[in-house]
Amino acid sequence: MATPNITPERADLGLITPEELSASSVSKATSRKVPADSQPGSATAWTEGQKILFRIAFVFFISMSLPNSLDWYKELVSFDWLHLHYRDLYDIARFGSGLTLFGNKLFGSTLNGYAPWIITLIFATVVGLIWTTVVRNRQIINYNLLYYWLRVVVRYRAGIGIIGFGFTKLMPTQLPYPSLGVLNTNFGDLTAQKIYWLSIGIVPWYEVFTGVVEVLAGALLFFRAYDGGVHGYSSYFVLLSGFLLIYYLKDLYNLLIRERLTIPNYFVPVFSGWQQYARIGLKTTTIGLFLVLLFWLQYVNFRYDPYKQPAQKGLKELRGNYNVTQFKLNGAELPYSPLDSLRWQQATFENWTTLTFKVNKPVELDLSNGGGAPMRDINRTFELTGVAGGQRVFYYEADTVHHVLYLQDKNRGARNQENREFLGNNRDLGGTSEGAKARLRGERRKGDKQETDNWIPKEALAIIGPEDPKINPIARSTRRTKGIEAENRPTKRNRMILSYTAQNGGQRVILQGINEKKDSIYVVLDRIQRPYALSESTLKAGSY
Amino acid sequence: MPYSDTTFANPQTFQQAELQTDSGWTSVEKGIFRFVFLYFLIQILPLDPQFFRNLVSFGGGYTRYLFNLSHYAPRFVGTEDSFANWGIVALVALIGSVVWSQQDDRKTNYDALFYWLRVALRYRLALGVIAYGFIKLFPLQAPLPSISNLNTAYGDHTAWKLFSLSLGVVPSYESFLGQVELVGGLLLLHRKTATIGTLILLPFLGNVFFSNLAYEGGEYVYSGLLISFGLVLFAFDAIRLFRLVSLEVAAVPNRFHPIWREQWQQYSRLALKGAFIGLTVLLYGFTTYTTYRQGSIRFPKTPGLAGAAGIYNVSEFKLAGKTLPYSKTDPVRWQDVVFEKWNTISIKSNRAVDLVNDNTEQLSATDAGRDYEYAGSQGRHYYRYTVDPTGRLLTLKNANPHYPNETLQLTYTKAGDGRIILAGVDEKRDSVYAVLDKLDKKYLIDEAAKAGRRGSLKL
Repeated sequence: MATPNITPERADLGLITPEELSASSVSKATSRKVPADSQPGSATAWTEGQKILFRIAFVFFISMSLPNSLDWYKELVSFDWLHLHYRDLYDIARFGSGLTLFGNKLFGSTLNGYAPWIITLIFATVVGLIWTTVVRNRQIINYNLLYYWLRVVVRYRAGIGIIGFGFTKLMPTQLPYPSLGVLNTNFGDLTAQKIYWLSIGIVPWYEVFTGVVEVLAGALLFFRAYDGGVHGYSSYFVLLSGFLLIYYLKDLYNLLIRERLTIPNYFVPVFSGWQQYARIGLKTTTIGLFLVLLFWLQYVNFRYDPYKQPAQKGLKELRGNYNVTQFKLNGAELPYSPLDSLRWQQATFENWTTLTFKVNKPVELDLSNGGGAPMRDINRTFELTGVAGGQRVFYYEADTVHHVLYLQDKNRGARNQENREFLGNNRDLGGTSEGAKARLRGERRKGDKQETDNWIPKEALAIIGPEDPKINPIARSTRRTKGIEAENRPTKRNRMILSYTAQNGGQRVILQGINEKKDSIYVVLDRIQRPYALSESTLKAGSY
Repeated sequence: MPYSDTTFANPQTFQQAELQTDSGWTSVEKGIFRFVFLYFLIQILPLDPQFFRNLVSFGGGYTRYLFNLSHYAPRFVGTEDSFANWGIVALVALIGSVVWSQQDDRKTNYDALFYWLRVALRYRLALGVIAYGFIKLFPLQAPLPSISNLNTAYGDHTAWKLFSLSLGVVPSYESFLGQVELVGGLLLLHRKTATIGTLILLPFLGNVFFSNLAYEGGEYVYSGLLISFGLVLFAFDAIRLFRLVSLEVAAVPNRFHPIWREQWQQYSRLALKGAFIGLTVLLYGFTTYTTYRQGSIRFPKTPGLAGAAGIYNVSEFKLAGKTLPYSKTDPVRWQDVVFEKWNTISIKSNRAVDLVNDNTEQLSATDAGRDYEYAGSQGRHYYRYTVDPTGRLLTLKNANPHYPNETLQLTYTKAGDGRIILAGVDEKRDSVYAVLDKLDKKYLIDEAAKAGRRGSLKL
């Protein structure tokens, strides 16, 4: 009555109908595994059109997969491999690709950043066509072999890149949980970009989950058998993954849509002797670097020096949310009014060295994404970028002997882009060469500038101490030391010097001194319990 | 039985292949299958009291009707979805499969049963995702935030509310998610593309499931159910795909196809399929589009006072004749007041809110049931108001069900230049007098879009 469905199990047992077998002319032995002696060239015949397309694709994807700047190679050899920072390896994993030799613009437009792709494509087409005329009618290239190696390069590029991105989420440092200052900011006073970042930051365990998925996807790409199963998430990786997927498209269509018996005929070169060792060595190094070492560095970074969040501990007795009970400006008391453009409305000391307070006065905003992995806490601006609503965010250094806070405005408005000058070694904000040059300039200038800029007395400076060693020694790195040094160049910022008195363990805090306009202020802060509707994070970056 | 014969996909190639063997099912496979079959059969049956209530609840338009109807799962215990219901289904299925295994099943065609199970699951899953797909394609599920929501501190929203608000501020992205869901759902309606559909839907639904867990949403059981349907569908082709792509060995396609011997069978198949597409794709898509054009399904429909929408500073505030100064700590002094475009007034004060935590998705036909604006948001009290015929007397009722008897009666006077004076009695029958001045509030979401990320903006 019924004839059977032919299951893969039956194929394994050799129970496929003779017709099926003759139709595909393979034995059951070959259906189990592609024969190891499959000879290059015998697998697929290439038409001339396919060859031309392939040549273009070859040049295109090689250009898109290899680092496009010399600095990348320089960095690779100049790293202090014994004191690595997590971002060192991350930068290696996320190098820029595509031809930028001819600039980043096409017809004067960056095309949303896709111009290098198109330039590369034009370049690849030209080279591919030249290649075609040069090799005309000569059978010197094994295209199956070349295709195989091209796919190896693309797989590793995609794998390393995806892991790099995945790891920043695996330990939720890339998208941190919102600071108290941000929690106190109205939803409508945030940029859409900020809302997106925060929406993931508030669920760190979900962030970890997506990180795991990404790292797994990336790791699987180191193994040929899995390269069809990975879908990318950013357009660059979508491009690379799409290219890898093309290889399987015909067979998938045949099997699922046409419902035909499908026997794959994938080309695999045969490795022997030293080749085998080289292959295993390369694979082991890649996995060791980008899975094991990167994981360790990431963990240490998350634990002690989360790069989007300040790393130094804030004063314990000050931490919390405060109501501004009393506010005097030059001796005159200002009553609370939401419309007053001078009086503080609320204040917050974060777990780290930040004081936030709200004033009803517009301020130039920093609309960047607060990234760039600066090393100094004062330059870690995620708590203020894309945030309006009158929030003022100040970095403080505390002289705990004389109870004085030396505060500097973290917000530099649109000037924050100048950061790229002194954030050397940083591709987030522009080319590395630019950063390096700026660093040189900065060093030259340092001598004469530092003497004029002694707003913190020497005695207090000695008590405050240098920033670099203030985190757990295990997390210290050459990148941090160099970065702090480079970022130390004084910049124009609003400053306040305020003495602090904490009463009843910080239930009441009195600040008095000179504000950013050189007016004297006297502020009485009373701590408030402010329960949030948003659940507190159970996975917190940093140690405070 | 019309479907008891099996043919090959391509009769030209395999014409002589008429094998007369058993269908290749081992007894263990059969045992597992009987359980799977019964388990999923029960899971797609509407054994949910809510389903029958939805079946006869016609108010509020077709989109609301079909969406609520599509959103069912068998429920035996509790008022909310829980995995305990899955356990009960599994238990019943287990007993059923034991009974079944005692029967003589030599005539049972397991290929055919599996086929029909997949048909049922395909349409059930398609219904589920298409219902969600359209209300995302036309961004109704997560609307643009209300003025009150924009003027609530980030930390005063629950994670689930923030998830929805964050999606709501990027309607184009919400539409894109809807497209993905719809493409996946539509691919399920065609047998040969069903596996590709599940390949699109499984990562999508997996993400929905984990988002629900992470953001403390209420739909994790339901999305888990849809995932389990997708997994069964995908499992049919999973081994083939694994062999082809990973092991790189030969893969045999599906060989079972139902045979339609009678004309009427062909016709009824087409009629059923046509009805499904007509009702859940064409009609539902159309009504969802018109609903979107007319406004929201999550905020009240009743319009508010003309020209009043906005946020107001409370410049002066008297309670029982006594003027209270500005204060962020006083529990009775109003800090600011929002008039929405609809008949909602929200008041910010330092009086704690007993939070409404509605994190499931049922669309309400009445304004009273539309709780999106205050669900999961504290910091403000929300009142729905009615206006008497003179247009001057407002009756405010606290919308939060935790405050059922809170009513304020306030006269409404426009004093010009964006000033509104409210005077009357508050919820404690005290006399209240408030002078409201409209604030020229600019929201960074809009302003930043104008300025661009590298631009300069003072706010």
